[in-house]
Amino acid sequence: MRERPAVGWIEAHTENYFHDGGPQVRALERARELYPLSLHGVGLGLGSTDELDRSHLARVRRAVDRFAPALVSEHACWGSHGGEHFNDLLPLPYTDEAVRHLSRRIELAQQELGRQILIENLSCYLSFRSSRLTEWEFLGAVVAESGCGLLLDVNNAYVNSVNVGLDARAFVDRLPLGSVQEIHLAGHARRVVGERELLLDDHGSAVSQPVWQLYEHAIRRHGAVPTLIEWDTNIPELSVLVGEAARAQRLMEALHGLAA
Amino acid sequence: MASLREIQSRFAAALHGQPDDLLEEIPGDGVDPAGRLQIYGNNARAMFEGALERTYPVLRRRVGDDYFRQLARSYRERHASPSGDLHWVGRGFPTFVAATEADTGYAWLADLAALEWACEVALNAAWVTPLAVESLAAISDESIAGTRLELQPSLACVSSPFPILEVWQANQPDASGDAVDLTRGAQHVLVCCGPGGLGLLAVERDAFEFIRALQEGASLGAAVDNSGLPLDELPGVLGMIFQAGLVTGVASVAMENER
Repeated sequence: MRERPAVGWIEAHTENYFHDGGPQVRALERARELYPLSLHGVGLGLGSTDELDRSHLARVRRAVDRFAPALVSEHACWGSHGGEHFNDLLPLPYTDEAVRHLSRRIELAQQELGRQILIENLSCYLSFRSSRLTEWEFLGAVVAESGCGLLLDVNNAYVNSVNVGLDARAFVDRLPLGSVQEIHLAGHARRVVGERELLLDDHGSAVSQPVWQLYEHAIRRHGAVPTLIEWDTNIPELSVLVGEAARAQRLMEALHGLAA
Repeated sequence: MASLREIQSRFAAALHGQPDDLLEEIPGDGVDPAGRLQIYGNNARAMFEGALERTYPVLRRRVGDDYFRQLARSYRERHASPSGDLHWVGRGFPTFVAATEADTGYAWLADLAALEWACEVALNAAWVTPLAVESLAAISDESIAGTRLELQPSLACVSSPFPILEVWQANQPDASGDAVDLTRGAQHVLVCCGPGGLGLLAVERDAFEFIRALQEGASLGAAVDNSGLPLDELPGVLGMIFQAGLVTGVASVAMENER
């Protein structure tokens, strides 16, 4: 914060700011005075068929009330079963039942928070035979049914193209126009599993060239959308991170001639 | 077709190393479905263990990575994460370590874990603007014994028959990590986190018991009686806790009766 890097806004994981106080909360309060904020949740597990954790949702609301973020987001995932939380973003089958279930939970969250939330597409390491919808059909149906917006993670779409055969450009093209209100970019790692290489969404390196290309395609389609670089393992010098954000900004300005 | 609930049930079993009921649901496309599931199993375990590592860095340094990982995995088998918020997953770890290390000669590890948990709690607690010692001046002599002090929400009291603060200090990131002579005796430690950061202070046993009694709601008179704090030491201990910013409220019995 001392360096006040030239970035347009910042994002924080909501669960890291549930506490009553302490240095971390004070740091975000100071940062909030300097930059617009997005709160990005990882713990609600809205697609879980366990009871919705209302105490967790209440803590999200408390953080939202406290920090007044411009954007609030969560994931199209589940995370607990039988009362056990796995603290990971677990994939849903793309079925009508899952659309209804996730949409209902998003509606409940939006009612509790008194605002629209954005839902992020996951990175996946597997798919389900029972999926009857494509990922874009699934998310489009959730948007239509719940009234949520989308956080498009371009790296996740690319990772899924390698891991589960998603047509990433079609995915980007067919998300509902006007629904994408935030974009994530990140690096990924490669790991050989059996006979094949899979991509791991580890947020631990620079954004790859194919992801930059897909990002350019995405902002042509969805417009000048606020874009965040996620880099939370193997964190580099701040200048490297700011450089990645500046590259996204230059692409945005080249295409749309304005700041996002 | 399996219901969403059924798929999540099978997936949960797979995360516990029993993937068989889910395998036919997952296309391989050149990768063994069990290998795909294993990525999620590894992630869930790494998230849990990572949370413990962040909360208990000193314990980890003392026991080494391998034994810490063994402790973490055993703990997870008995204490599944109860929340989507990982921060509190280590709440039961000191008790677990105490049970694991009982009668092993390493019982001090549980006290070290308790001290680290107190730090974690303090680091995430609110800081209330403290009162100056002059706030006691408004209380009459006859009311003083019945006066209660409210202390900082972040204050934690950790007592050990071992020099637990010395162990903690010797294993901070910039410290040597040299072994501490565990026969040096007990330490009674106050943990608090204010605007200046985390603070840990070892105090004498009777002062520790006095402060712990105050924290539990005892009046000054009862806290003195229960702790055995010599009366001539009371002004010094009160001065110390006010000076440290630990006192956030003063309520005499008369004040409480007026409410």
